[in-house]
Amino acid sequence: MTLASVLIVAAALIGIGLYGALSQQSFVMLMMGLELMLNGGLLAVIGLWANTMGGAPEGQLLAIIIMAVMAVDMAIGFALVTAVYRKRQADVTESLTTMKH
Amino acid sequence: MGLTDLLFFALSAVAIVSGWRVFATDSMVRASFLLLLSFVAVGLIIVMLAAPYIGVATIFMMTVEMMVMALFMVMFMMNPAGLNPMMMVHQHRFSIVAGVLAFAGLTVAILFTSFPGIPVDPAAPVVHDLGIELLGPSMLIFETAGVTLLATMIGSVILSSRSGRFGLADQGSRPPGLEPDGEPAGRQPEQGGGGHHHHHH
Amino acid sequence: MELIAALLLLLFLSVGFAGAALADGMLPALISGQARPSWRRPIAEAARLLQTQPIRTEAPDALLWFLAPALYLALAIIGLAVIPFGPGLVTIPSEVGIVVWGSCEALTIVAVFMFGWSANAPLPLIGAYRYVAIALPAMLISMFVLIGAALPAESLGFTEIVEAQRTVWNVVRQPAGLILFLMLGLAISLRGPFDYADPADLAGGTTADVSGPALLAWKIARLAMLVSVSAVTATAFLGGYLGPILPGFVWFLLKTALVLVVLVAAGNLFARVPPARMMGVIWTMLLPLSFLMLLAVGLELLLWG
Repeated sequence: MTLASVLIVAAALIGIGLYGALSQQSFVMLMMGLELMLNGGLLAVIGLWANTMGGAPEGQLLAIIIMAVMAVDMAIGFALVTAVYRKRQADVTESLTTMKH
Repeated sequence: MGLTDLLFFALSAVAIVSGWRVFATDSMVRASFLLLLSFVAVGLIIVMLAAPYIGVATIFMMTVEMMVMALFMVMFMMNPAGLNPMMMVHQHRFSIVAGVLAFAGLTVAILFTSFPGIPVDPAAPVVHDLGIELLGPSMLIFETAGVTLLATMIGSVILSSRSGRFGLADQGSRPPGLEPDGEPAGRQPEQGGGGHHHHHH
Repeated sequence: MELIAALLLLLFLSVGFAGAALADGMLPALISGQARPSWRRPIAEAARLLQTQPIRTEAPDALLWFLAPALYLALAIIGLAVIPFGPGLVTIPSEVGIVVWGSCEALTIVAVFMFGWSANAPLPLIGAYRYVAIALPAMLISMFVLIGAALPAESLGFTEIVEAQRTVWNVVRQPAGLILFLMLGLAISLRGPFDYADPADLAGGTTADVSGPALLAWKIARLAMLVSVSAVTATAFLGGYLGPILPGFVWFLLKTALVLVVLVAAGNLFARVPPARMMGVIWTMLLPLSFLMLLAVGLELLLWG
């Protein structure tokens, strides 16, 4: 379990998450992609903390902040999905074309 | 290769494969359970990386999040049981290329960087240190996260509550149309209501 | 030491499970005034279920349906594994025991939802939905109450929490906390007033379309979780293995048995209220109460700790 292997796993999760966030039409599936990217980020942060920082607690603090970001992402994401669904009866990104103009 | 390495590779395989299957399964509820499995595997890897609190807290938090996500899936999505094939994607080729490029770029960066090798001392009281850090030197940062979460709660209540800025909740709570912009599916309420009197001649 | 603890865990789980099955079968009869209820009833019920014909629903998610009881049982065992059975007798010594237990609670909700959803039938899905709505806030309450139990120990590990109760048990510090935690116990072992997953008013809810050995597996997992949550309650609030004269393990067993009997009795004596009303009670009364308990413990430790 070297640092490089941990980081490569994290990179794979970020890559899959990016694919999901860019390709999915449904809002909730799109949010899953974002969560997967944050998951990879979390793993990379802890991997770096455990192997390069000698246990300085600030690394764990950053991980806690990432978890808070995940929670904010989910809560606001679902609130927006609810609002959009009420307004447009829609759950896919294509239905929000008016936001382009 | 020791037992730790074997365990690490197994958990990594679970994390990556289930992360990929999230976007390849037909049921969105199954997708959220797969994402949860990926998070649990990452959480266990984090525990192995000498950060027990962060790892277990990740599992705890993500379980609750994915549970809520599964609920929303059943509420909003068609085909929650995965009885029909589902592939709802746009700009698919571009996304695959972007994902692969991100992975390849990051991997190259990882392999060509020399990281300082100062591993954490296995005997260090990491959980205790984290607690002291959170409520000591980094208290302001921690509190900022708390205030952000409070703002999130208020924001999501405003966005989704009954009398939000997008109108009354029950006003828009119609089922989606059978075709785009079509009549809502299901039984239609009768026009005029029960209190309306018709005139007969 | 950990090996001994693991063996003790198996012993404890078997004894506790047998006790739970007996209590579950006999207490309702005792409460209703029968003088000599039969202890063979649970065994007869198990034998009957083993011979019952298994049924299927249309297009279920067979894998998740099969795995949900196993996950439920595994969570009960993991919960027991972080609890000390005696001084130094713990299967998986963890300095974040409370968080591990919290994850077990949260994953239990997932297991129940999985079980209800994967049947692909209306009543199980309604049961699963109702259960998640009630159990998620109930789990939040239990976590606040457990933080109140961890404050005096200045640690998240169960061993430290027990040692910190040498002066005074946590039940004295937060009596309402014990009651709130017992409610969580009812919720995650799916019984009585908090059984919103498979109650009779939904014709069995999550178990409406399960029969035979699969139903038996689910019931076994439920009882195992009952043992587990009783053990956690005894550890976090009643001083765990602490006690005079008798060895620690015996005290732990006695306290767990006491909590288990209280839980089974409560499940039979209290009625279930409609889910919407229970939601209101949980969010507007019980959750603030758990904050108050946490505040009280914090102030006590700050002023006199």
